Amino acid sequence: MLKNPRNYFFIGLLITIYIWAWQSLKVDLTSLSSSGQYLGVFLGDFFPPNWQVLPQAMEALLETIQMSVIGTTMGAILSLPIAILSAHNLSPVGLRSFGNLLQNTLRSIPSIILALIFVSVIGLGSTAGTFALGIYSIGYLAKFYQEAIESVDANSLQALQVTGASWLQIAQYGILPQILPLSLGYTLYMFEYNIRAASILGVVGAGGIGFELVNYINGFERTKATTFILVMLVVVTVIDLGSSKLRQKLTEL
Amino acid sequence: MIECQDIYSSHKSSLNRPILNGISLKINPGESVALLGPNGAGKSSLLKAMVGLVPIEKGEIKVNGRKITPKSLPYVRSQMGMIWQGGGLIPQLSALDNVLCGRLGKMSSWSSLGGFPKGDRQKAQTLLSELGLAWQSQEKVSKLSGGQQQRVAIARALMTSPPILLADEPTSGLDVVVTQQVMAILMALHQGGITLVLVLHDLAMARQYTDRAIILEQGRVIFDGKSDNIEQEYSQLC
Repeated sequence: MLKNPRNYFFIGLLITIYIWAWQSLKVDLTSLSSSGQYLGVFLGDFFPPNWQVLPQAMEALLETIQMSVIGTTMGAILSLPIAILSAHNLSPVGLRSFGNLLQNTLRSIPSIILALIFVSVIGLGSTAGTFALGIYSIGYLAKFYQEAIESVDANSLQALQVTGASWLQIAQYGILPQILPLSLGYTLYMFEYNIRAASILGVVGAGGIGFELVNYINGFERTKATTFILVMLVVVTVIDLGSSKLRQKLTEL
Repeated sequence: MIECQDIYSSHKSSLNRPILNGISLKINPGESVALLGPNGAGKSSLLKAMVGLVPIEKGEIKVNGRKITPKSLPYVRSQMGMIWQGGGLIPQLSALDNVLCGRLGKMSSWSSLGGFPKGDRQKAQTLLSELGLAWQSQEKVSKLSGGQQQRVAIARALMTSPPILLADEPTSGLDVVVTQQVMAILMALHQGGITLVLVLHDLAMARQYTDRAIILEQGRVIFDGKSDNIEQEYSQLC
């Protein structure tokens, strides 16, 4: 690898970028070491967990999961046409750039901004958060679906074309079976991700577990916040385990 | 019958010539023809042009006397079954469903939405059984061996009982025994009256299995004759 002088150039460039980024951030390691005690005090406030709020924590978390289920599904349904529009093996150049522009626009808006928008449109609560997740998911799912569509074997589609199959028949029997395992896997991953994303949307009043979490932390009831965090940890871990097993099964299809 | 009259495909800048560069030939009913030639000679493109997948800039291709146009394409495709290099199957569908896909052109989009009629399913199952895959029909194609996949591809091409069968390197990637099995199936079909056009890379196979050989080079026909002596002819020409 080091035989090519061009690689030396790239290694040099990489080191320069790191030095530039580090210097510009003015990271002060001495203040970091002295702040250790504050961290100890802050974290000390969180223990022991207050189990009295366990029912509320469960309820809030349930809402978070429900938001993710509906939001991800909404995003998945809206993503499919955008993905077809953006795929280079299905769509002409003009439509493709439109599809990609739409995707990039949606991807560049943070979920919390979307939540703020929907809170101001719909009002406080989980509906706003659900819509925010739905729109946020499009930016990613459309890209994932697009890549799944683009990796379909071109020969197999031409083979169906030669049998005289219509566009719809090619989509049903050629494209769908080939993209389904991969796309379902991506959608499950998005669902997991949205549970985590949904837990922050509460900060701006868009429902889910984040609302209480932030309130308890700011209101110095941090032992209650710990209960929420622990419940979250358990549920996210369980869902992660379950869905990664499921995704493994899907890729074997 | 397939007739190509001085056909040219569009100019390809990487080759600085059209892939099909003035090809004329005629394939009669009941013949078995091998298309030979070095890589990039235009064999696969010629095959695809015969089913209207490669646009022709100049010249014309006629199938049973009808020129290939967007309007005649359904008729042309109904006359031909095609076997693709590597199968061209849908790996996630079962062998049976892949074979049934051969019928899609005969069905409306609405009627195929809910699946295939019983008669078609029976025909597909019979075809698979005839090709020795009776027990694998529900198996996913991705789980089948290369030779089994190629037999599924043959069954799919036969679903509409076409008089002409085109095959692009039907035995590429298969071992000797399986190659012989696949070729034996194709020969049996030929014996039954089907016209065969095979892209091959193996000259001995061309001699053994076909009556006539056409050698392409740089998008042109440089030899068209009996395949009895093809090894000698080829070494003199290429």
